[in-house]
Amino acid sequence: MAHCGGTNGSKLFTMVLYMAAACGAIPISDLLDRASQRSDKLHSLSTTLTQDLDSHFPPIGRVIMPRPSMCHTSSLQTPNDKEQALQVSESDLLSLVRSLLQAWEDPLVVLSTSANTLPHPAQSIISNKIQELQEHSKSLGDGLVVLSGKMAPGAQTISSLPYFGGNDIGQDRISKLINFNFLLSCFRRDSHKIDSFLKILRCRAAKMLPEMC
Amino acid sequence: GAMMRKVILLLLLLCFTAHTRGKLHSPPAKPGLTSCRSPEKETFTCWWKPGSDGGLPTTHALYYRKESSETVYECPDYHTAGENSCFFNKNDTSIWVNYNITVVATNALGRAFSDPVEIDVVYIVKPNPPEKVTVTVMEDKGWPFLRVSWEPPHKADTRSGWITLIYELRVKLEEEIDWEMHLAGQQKMFNIFSLRSGGKYLVEVRCKPDHGFWSEWSSTSYIKVPDYFHREKSTWILITVFSTFTFLILMWLLHMNRHNLKHCILPPVPGPKIKGFDKQLLKNGKSNQIFSALVVPDFPPATSSNYEDFQVEYLEVYVRREQELVLEESKDLHNSCLKSESSTSDCDSGRGSCDSHTLLMAKCREAKEGERQTDRECSPMRTEAQRRLKDWEEEALNYAHAGIVSLEMSSGRVKTWPSVFSPLPRYSSSPLDQQSSLQMAKQLSLSTSSYLTQPGHSTKEALGQSYWDLCLSSKQPHLLNPPTPVCRELQAHSDVNISSIGHKRAPAGPRSPALHTTEYVEVQRVDNKDTLLLQPVVQGCGRMGGCFQMPHGEVYSKVKGVDSDNVLLLQREGMGEDRCPCVEQETNEVTGSCHKSCTVSTTQKPSGCIYTAVPVRDEMATMANGYVDTATMCTLHTC
Repeated sequence: MAHCGGTNGSKLFTMVLYMAAACGAIPISDLLDRASQRSDKLHSLSTTLTQDLDSHFPPIGRVIMPRPSMCHTSSLQTPNDKEQALQVSESDLLSLVRSLLQAWEDPLVVLSTSANTLPHPAQSIISNKIQELQEHSKSLGDGLVVLSGKMAPGAQTISSLPYFGGNDIGQDRISKLINFNFLLSCFRRDSHKIDSFLKILRCRAAKMLPEMC
Repeated sequence: GAMMRKVILLLLLLCFTAHTRGKLHSPPAKPGLTSCRSPEKETFTCWWKPGSDGGLPTTHALYYRKESSETVYECPDYHTAGENSCFFNKNDTSIWVNYNITVVATNALGRAFSDPVEIDVVYIVKPNPPEKVTVTVMEDKGWPFLRVSWEPPHKADTRSGWITLIYELRVKLEEEIDWEMHLAGQQKMFNIFSLRSGGKYLVEVRCKPDHGFWSEWSSTSYIKVPDYFHREKSTWILITVFSTFTFLILMWLLHMNRHNLKHCILPPVPGPKIKGFDKQLLKNGKSNQIFSALVVPDFPPATSSNYEDFQVEYLEVYVRREQELVLEESKDLHNSCLKSESSTSDCDSGRGSCDSHTLLMAKCREAKEGERQTDRECSPMRTEAQRRLKDWEEEALNYAHAGIVSLEMSSGRVKTWPSVFSPLPRYSSSPLDQQSSLQMAKQLSLSTSSYLTQPGHSTKEALGQSYWDLCLSSKQPHLLNPPTPVCRELQAHSDVNISSIGHKRAPAGPRSPALHTTEYVEVQRVDNKDTLLLQPVVQGCGRMGGCFQMPHGEVYSKVKGVDSDNVLLLQREGMGEDRCPCVEQETNEVTGSCHKSCTVSTTQKPSGCIYTAVPVRDEMATMANGYVDTATMCTLHTC
């Protein structure tokens, strides 16, 4: 099973189509493998971003940081432990993944724009990584579209999780940093969820290859 | 009263006992949460470190609060994970939920709260080490390799994909220090190649979740690789044999061609190819024989050869008693001579000393004069000069008597010149005599020059004086001997370059500048016209063994000839360091003028033909060696 980590979603899509046309389809396990690799990368990026931000974060920010429960995606019901997670169906899992990913489309733009003027010493690095985040997120979304087509119709359901934060993340430096950090932490968690769910799906689809899981 | 006292006493006792224990009771110090870890993303444990207990028994309690509720719960399990720990089982563990955890230390005197810690279980995953690590030696086409296999920790649920682990193993030889790391990814098996035959290896494995912490290393597995050197050995034997053969062949080839190689690397030194050169003689080390062999037998020409065969200039020397005497000095003459001579002749810059001629007659005269007196400085005195001149004339007669050209004393003019110089071979046979005579001659010449340089009237007397003086001033003791032989010797060896002596001779005195190379005119013969035919004596160049150099540039006038008026025509010539030593004269009173002609500079080195018009002094043309100054001569002549 190939583990190419570089194909983006559109490529994936075209390849799937080609393969389908060539009377051979890429097995879902392959697709899921690629998708999980992409989500793994997504989460790693968000983790390093958090570390970069924490390097020069005002201590007071940690105290008055908003609770993660205030993330705009917190309304989405996701499993809280392993038993719950393993009980969710594949299509539902995929739906969750797609919903989460979709929910972050706009906030990532906000993050990107505010990263340009972020009052932080590592501003340029952060800005670059936010860009990468956007790219990976988009490609993953495209791939998931293909995936969902191969699954049960339930996978097509995408819950709407609008972001109400607007474009403005604060006026003064402290609030800017705090809001940026908060958004990023929300994204970090959600990307971890996406990654976990996809890896669960991967292992479920790779029953013929026990080596993988 | 008594009761009160008892209570007080009891209290005091208590305090005292408390003091004697040496402890101070205080509320506990703040504890601190050290870490929280989840091995499988299903449970987790938190550990804390208690502060000082303040001397009293202190209890710790862990309280936590979940993200979305305000309910504070206490740790469900303080024991499973050991001392100062709190274990959260599956039921109490929620993921993707922030826990706010605080530890409280309590003792009799107070409480202490630790700093709260926010954790999310999914971020604190640290699995257990891999289990069942097995290492086996397997063979691949005769080459052994290690196969390491393991299993994930039993608690981690990798099957369902709940947790994804990646593995890493490390290998080293037993005696080594550094480990060799290998990342195995998600596979549970790994091959290690390039083993050392007969080595004992240690293998360890660890794992890490996709977004978590590395586990501890598994327990070490030992494996011994069997010996398989026979295969390696055979290869080495082959290589050794082959290289030995090649080496032997190369050596043999070199040996066969050693001569060629020798010629190539060390080319033979070409031997000397001098005609008549005998290598054997050189090897024998007798240099005299060698050089004698080099000498061409018939060179220089034989004695009996006619001098006329040589390209020698005739010199007609005319000696006059009057002012026209070459050696006479007069101011006017000087001046005129200077001026006239400036145009006539030029410094002989090309001829060198070989071509210079000296007035041997003058020398002889001087020698004669000099011999009659003791060593003392020559002082010019006219009267004496006159006397001396007469003496000289007598001497000249003597010379003639000795076979030298007779000095013609007619009308006060003497045409005598030193005798013919014996041919060179004679000189060569007696180098010692040569030298001494040379020295004498040098002296004489010096005396001559000194005479010349002395101010005085242009009279023979002056000349004689100077001669005499110069002779005296010479350091040669046997100059006091009859001058005749001296002069004779001088004549005899006149052709020898006296400059060699000049080197060795110290200057006779202030008046007598250092002897420099003197040139002698070789009297060839006297013809029927009473003309003294002189031939220039090559200043040793090529005639004798060596060419002597004058230490200083001195110019001697060559006798150009004697004209009809019995005037000695001197040639303007430069002599000195082989070149025209027209040097500016400046020395002593002798003269300071540098005439257009080549003048002798006693103290200065010749710097070329310097035509300066230094005011002429009273003395004669300055010839430090008493040689005739051409300028004077010419002046006389023209005047």
